[in-house]
Amino acid sequence: MRRVLLPVTVVTLVVVAIQLSIFSSLRFAGVVVMLVWLWPLAMGLAGLTSLALWCAVVAGVFFDTHAVTPFGLTAVVAVILAYGASRLGKEGVGDLDSAAWWVTPLIAAAAGFIAPALFVGASFFTLNFSFWRDSLFASMVVNAVAFFILARPMTRLARWAGNFGGTRR
Amino acid sequence: MATDRSRRRTWTFSLAIALTLLILYLTTGVSSGLRGGANIVLTPFSWAVNTIAHPLGHLFAGAIDYSDVVAQNQKLRRQLAQADERLNEEWSYSRQLQQISTQLNVPFVSSLPTVAVQVTTDSPTNFSATVGVSKGRSSGILVGMPVVANGGLVGRVISTTTNGSTVQLISDTHSLVGVTFAHSTSDLVVSGRGVNNGLGATSVPTNSGVEVGTKLFTDGLDGGLFPVGLPVASVKAVTLTPGASTYNLSLQPAADLRHLSYLDVVLWEPAT
Repeated sequence: MRRVLLPVTVVTLVVVAIQLSIFSSLRFAGVVVMLVWLWPLAMGLAGLTSLALWCAVVAGVFFDTHAVTPFGLTAVVAVILAYGASRLGKEGVGDLDSAAWWVTPLIAAAAGFIAPALFVGASFFTLNFSFWRDSLFASMVVNAVAFFILARPMTRLARWAGNFGGTRR
Repeated sequence: MATDRSRRRTWTFSLAIALTLLILYLTTGVSSGLRGGANIVLTPFSWAVNTIAHPLGHLFAGAIDYSDVVAQNQKLRRQLAQADERLNEEWSYSRQLQQISTQLNVPFVSSLPTVAVQVTTDSPTNFSATVGVSKGRSSGILVGMPVVANGGLVGRVISTTTNGSTVQLISDTHSLVGVTFAHSTSDLVVSGRGVNNGLGATSVPTNSGVEVGTKLFTDGLDGGLFPVGLPVASVKAVTLTPGASTYNLSLQPAADLRHLSYLDVVLWEPAT
């Protein structure tokens, strides 16, 4: 676990940098694809529970430091996604080798669809009631499609990063 | 047993994280320090990603959109020539208006100093309409200062660092701008509807005289967030909900908020 923490953290920071430098301006239908949510999700689907939660916190907190939305909201959503995915990952659901090819992308698409709604729901606890007005449905659809497409390569990357030191789970 | 212990550990870990984030959110001082620290850590990663991605992006964009770039260049040259002509004409009007404004003790934006800034980052999230700009406190930019570009109000500065600032666009869902228009009997409040949805105004009295095409300007009321007379938007559609006694307005921002490259920060602080 400790041996892979550093490479996983570095990959997570690269993912955040890609999110901020490229994906923030690369909008589809005006919507930003949230790579910082997909990465911990992929880690979770790879069955790496602790690493998935760690990635969720690091990616979420670093992203939140660059956004003007309430601090910690992105991280909270990432943690929820990572935890949910890791439960499935532990059971072998969404495993790249054993499950059908479409299972991982479909789980990711479902997560991409609900993640923006989770974000808006969580924002109510910070007394922000206006986020739902801002193209929520478009955001859900675009993220679902993007997560579907990117799920398999990201899960492969997650598995590679998780096995970096020869350690698994 | 081991599974129970592992589950308990995971829940405790998650709860601790949630509590930590909540505390950080509530104590803005800590989160502000954290933002600075995070910037320092991420800078080398962002630099590496930009160094690789930007030239590749420019190469593809140039190869695919070359004819579009040429057409855009010609259009810009024509607009520049027209703007030069108008500039000469407006200079005299501006001078007259400035003299009248001085006599009436009303600040006029063309008489206020501005700082030109470059847009460096777009909003990283779907839930806020903001841009990052290239200058900050070291250039005299302070929180609350209005930002203009492309012929109208763009937004206002909501946070600054030594060499950068964040501008909240008027299309942000948290943005409210007090406006007025020619021959108006009442002031309106224009609110943002999100990055992709432009601006709107609700509860507009039916006798206000507003119609499609009406141009709206900041009202500059005492204690307001903006100086008087900045173009904000024009009315795109007027709707009257059945049974309601007021209009809802759909507005077109005066500035093109989707294509922002250079902005002017007006060195004007709202009265506190």
